[in-house]
Amino acid sequence: MVRRARSAFAVAMLLGEDLARSERFIAPAVLYVAVVAFLFAGDPAPLPEPWAASALLLYPVGAWFAHALAEAEDDVARTVTLSAAGGPLPVAAGVLLAATAGIAALGLVAVVWGVVAAWGTATTGGLLDGMLAHLACGITGAAVGSVFARPLFRSEGVALVAALTFLVVTGTSAWLPPVGTAAASLGTGRGGLGPFGDLLLAVLVAGAALTVVVRVEQGGFATWRKRWDRLVRRLLERLRPGH
Amino acid sequence: MRLVGIHHTHASGIVALRGIDLVVDPAAPTVLRGPDGAGKTTLLRVAAGAVVPTAGEIEDPPAVVGYLPDRFPARTKLPPRRWLDHMTRVRGLDPDDTGERADELLEELGYGGADDEPMSELSRSDVQKIGLVQALVCDPDLVVLDEPWSGLDDDAADVLTRLLAERSGGLLLTDRTGTAAGLAGARLYRLRAGRLAAASDPDSVPLRTAPPPGSVMRLDLACAGDPRPVLESLPPARVEAAAPGRLTVRVPVPDSDAWLMAALAAGCAVRSVRPVRREADGTPAAPDTRSRTGVPRPSDRPARRPRGPGAPQW
Repeated sequence: MVRRARSAFAVAMLLGEDLARSERFIAPAVLYVAVVAFLFAGDPAPLPEPWAASALLLYPVGAWFAHALAEAEDDVARTVTLSAAGGPLPVAAGVLLAATAGIAALGLVAVVWGVVAAWGTATTGGLLDGMLAHLACGITGAAVGSVFARPLFRSEGVALVAALTFLVVTGTSAWLPPVGTAAASLGTGRGGLGPFGDLLLAVLVAGAALTVVVRVEQGGFATWRKRWDRLVRRLLERLRPGH
Repeated sequence: MRLVGIHHTHASGIVALRGIDLVVDPAAPTVLRGPDGAGKTTLLRVAAGAVVPTAGEIEDPPAVVGYLPDRFPARTKLPPRRWLDHMTRVRGLDPDDTGERADELLEELGYGGADDEPMSELSRSDVQKIGLVQALVCDPDLVVLDEPWSGLDDDAADVLTRLLAERSGGLLLTDRTGTAAGLAGARLYRLRAGRLAAASDPDSVPLRTAPPPGSVMRLDLACAGDPRPVLESLPPARVEAAAPGRLTVRVPVPDSDAWLMAALAAGCAVRSVRPVRREADGTPAAPDTRSRTGVPRPSDRPARRPRGPGAPQW
């Protein structure tokens, strides 16, 4: 167990540094920081309301990070990492850990920027709510991104369309925990699971995503995957021009 | 390690392995051969723990595995030493403990790439060397190598042959150059359509795992300077060629391991180890093409890649 945890952290460092050096993190990071800058420009709304938007945006950004990390290595190099790590669990956990580190850094930027820009409206309770909501949204996004990638999706295009659809539907449902409720509680003050409840649920969602990814890597859900592949193949054939 | 009843079907539905039973003996290299699509790469991935088989069991799995796949691409932007450090940590080890050995191996293999260049910009040969060091440096209980000699320059190929010959512990590999079959005590298995060769399959005759009585090995060695003084310190053997830097001898199989060890201890490097099939009367099966001066003709010189696919097995 200890060795697997160490391997997971090592995989997170490996993939994180690879992502950093390949500069594939720049687009989502710049997009996020630009939106945060826009949110807190001029005379910002009192805290924690602007954090609702920055927390919500961390949901797709987390998914983007996790997807990029899961796809960072090519298929052959990935077999080396899987072998060295002793199986798929440390590798899948490493993806989630590295993505979580990324969203935590961006979330911290949003929280600190908000406190500085709207100093007079910051409260200790609001600050805690804001930090937990950012984490809840980002971790859930990382979970979604790790599922909509290899090994569940072999086609990048299908993974992108499916992930975008999922993110839009779940991210715009204010009643849906943990992302919808976490963002809504900052914006309109509507109750939900509470900031700790949302974060706990996000961690559980990440755990569920980890289980699914590992099971698929171990050959699980074979029948479902065959059906899914058949469905995607038929759909792509229908969409092909001239059909 | 023992692979028991291994079946594997890829996500695409292609059946790669159909009930493989294989013991990887730590005392002898296990060499897989077979045509493309036979399932060699998948079997190696299963043994390395990179792929979970659809069915079957791996008994006594090794704690630490060193694995290098075929056509290791390394498109990563990480510099080679950073990548090696990361892979050591992924194995749960400390890079400080393995760094010195990694440097030695890189030097022995003749690694010529820059340390601060991304791996994606290294030459094919240097990437293969980095991959090999990654697999060997952690003192693994089992080394799994898929076509390890491919992409290596000749000198590095010779060094790899020596490193594998000196290694103790499990070794499972595929090799279409034929070099692995010459490793001392190598056990050869042929794969066809996802199955290990069986006697009932006329197209897939299993290779013998032990040389027949009376077999002779041709050992081609690289020794610094004139090898004749070195010869005096080695056990008796039939000398085919002894030139500065080069020594070729024929040794009966029972003595070949001890002879190799003595030669390595005397500072020689192993260039190749090849069986010389002999007729019942004790003469070599192949005509002896040596010239009367004792200097081998070019056609008789052992190739750096000793045996091609068509070369005789035991």
